[in-house]
Amino acid sequence: MALLELRNISKIYGELKALDNVSIQVEKGEWVAIMGPSGSGKSTMMNIIGCMDKPSLGEVLLDGTDISKEPQKVLTDIRREKIGLIFQQFHMVTYLTAVENVMVSQYYHSMPDEEEALEALERVGLRERAKHLPGQLSGGEQQRVCVARALINHPELILADEPTGNLDEANENIVLDLFRQLHDEGTTLIVVTHDPEVAEAAQRTIVLEHGRVAREILNENFGKQ
Amino acid sequence: MTKRKMFFRMITASLLRRRSRMLIALLSIAVGATILSGLVTIYYDVPRQMGAQFRSYGANMILLPGEEKPLTMERLQEALKNIPEEEVVGATPYRYVRLDMPSRQQSFISAGTDFEEVQKTSPYFSVEGEYPENTREILVGKEIAETLGLKERSSVELSYKTTAFPAGTDPGDIQAGKVLSGSAEGFNKVLLSADIVLDEEGKIDSIAVDAAYQTPGVGSQVGTDQAFLDQFIGKKPPFSLNTPDSEGTQQEENTEGVDAVSGATISSQAVVDAVNSAVFGSSEGGVIVENTEHFTVSGILSTGGEEEAYIYMSLKDLQRLTADETLDVAELSVSAGADELDNYSRAITDSELDISSRLVKRVTRSEASVLGKLQALVFLVTAVVLLLTMICVCTTMLAVVSERRREIGLRKALGASDSSIRKEFLGEGLLLGGLGGVLGAILGFVFAQVVSINVFGSSITFQPLLLPATILVSMAIAAASCQFPIKRAVAIDPAIVLKGE
Repeated sequence: MALLELRNISKIYGELKALDNVSIQVEKGEWVAIMGPSGSGKSTMMNIIGCMDKPSLGEVLLDGTDISKEPQKVLTDIRREKIGLIFQQFHMVTYLTAVENVMVSQYYHSMPDEEEALEALERVGLRERAKHLPGQLSGGEQQRVCVARALINHPELILADEPTGNLDEANENIVLDLFRQLHDEGTTLIVVTHDPEVAEAAQRTIVLEHGRVAREILNENFGKQ
Repeated sequence: MTKRKMFFRMITASLLRRRSRMLIALLSIAVGATILSGLVTIYYDVPRQMGAQFRSYGANMILLPGEEKPLTMERLQEALKNIPEEEVVGATPYRYVRLDMPSRQQSFISAGTDFEEVQKTSPYFSVEGEYPENTREILVGKEIAETLGLKERSSVELSYKTTAFPAGTDPGDIQAGKVLSGSAEGFNKVLLSADIVLDEEGKIDSIAVDAAYQTPGVGSQVGTDQAFLDQFIGKKPPFSLNTPDSEGTQQEENTEGVDAVSGATISSQAVVDAVNSAVFGSSEGGVIVENTEHFTVSGILSTGGEEEAYIYMSLKDLQRLTADETLDVAELSVSAGADELDNYSRAITDSELDISSRLVKRVTRSEASVLGKLQALVFLVTAVVLLLTMICVCTTMLAVVSERRREIGLRKALGASDSSIRKEFLGEGLLLGGLGGVLGAILGFVFAQVVSINVFGSSITFQPLLLPATILVSMAIAAASCQFPIKRAVAIDPAIVLKGE
């Protein structure tokens, strides 16, 4: 059974169809990239997958349950329980340290555990930077903290929105390596990007154009790097 | 780590690490709390403070002797037990007598009092020089000082005449050969005077009456009618006027009778009274005992009132001079509200002391009305300041929310529920309120102290209950001011964190 399935979803804003009868499936443990030019519906799809928006039509099945009709409060619960988010702009709480930022995620999810948060930071290679405020971290470091934050609650799905959009190549590679590790551990990854290199790191790329799935590309080189 | 610990870690970090904005909110709450606690302190202290101010206008309670017993120091002290000691600003005894100044042939109203108390009950007394400190020092009213050309350190002689017959003495023993003057009211209350000289035996040796201002040709005869005046010669005072009635001529016991000048009975009676008073100092029987002492002027008193025509000395000096320990009046300055004063006054009047107490209404009433207005004003200012504080905190928090839109969106994206967001902002608001409250309570006390010292010239006491009260009110105000900003925060869409804006 697919972890995530979008069935004929459409999102309509007045005249504009941001998404037009889109259906995709993401298997458990799969690493999928979603590509497309500006206005192709990437963001809308991201919002819907991230439980921050609902489709106008169609069904969203997460773990086999349709969540497309659930109220916002339930969607918040689902997002908290099942989804880890990574953003292009990193988004850290500016007045909290790296480890505290990771703990915020624990705080909303269940119980803050500093030791566990430090371990997560260790995993992204930032244990020694745990007490630094976001302003004292580089962009790449901030994004790695965000990766640690996204995985701290062991989500079933990690949803990354242009995760390398603001990073240089070195940091991009670090983040992609982290994704590879997560993938190897069986985490499901959905990465929205316009960067072909990032997309190529995934197993499969779904290309959106004008709110529709234009094509799907299987990455033949996957796992060979 | 527990959730609660993390909660506090987050909200304190928010306050400590993002200083600028929160500092404004904190400052506005602190200022509000300062004004609040300061004004409340003053509000409760105003009656005391203003009471003390009003006390500078003089006494607000007067104690007078009752109908039977005289007022004395001991009985005054008894009466004072009806008023809480700490509310008695001052209690000044007064005894008034007329003292003669033989060297100037004048007499002045002289008051015996307690100068330490005078300074409390009559703070408006302005003394050039010093208040008397030693025995035989006096304060002289400005009017007297100017008339007599008295200055500080001037020496004056004051004498008190009593009319008691000292045992075994005779008027003649003391007064022989001296010209004694007396006066009395004649027809239409016009004064006439008599000068007499006594011989060795105390009998009238010579008499001269000045009745020039009595009715011409009628009353005036008493000064010229030699037959009438001759009735006094060779007789021993006191005299009385014979009153003709159906049973012949009557005369008062133990007196020498004198027949009136026909048609001028009232003027004749006045001559008798004047002669008696010349001998005895008053129309009653007895001999004049003159007690004279030297006094030093220690200061000149100006008040702008009738006190300038008085001489003041210590009660002890006056008591020694007059050999009399009674008081005429006691002026009290009591620092209490109108109702309490009324109660005290009634308690004293109703007690067994036979002392009658009166309130100086013009003082007590104006006090009550001014106090009421002042308190209303303070209350109003406090309310306005609190409202302004709320507006300021609300605006600041709104700015904080919009500044932290991303962060709020992020928190929601990370799974924060609306109630979590609400709790966090309320937590920050309450923390701000608490901190502002502590700051405000401390600054408020300082503020009240400064105001009190500058405006009222006295310090205030710290009200321990005001500290928690101020903190609670500040927190409540902060919480109330945060409601609208929190609503805004909750409404933020988590999707704003996706895609860099």
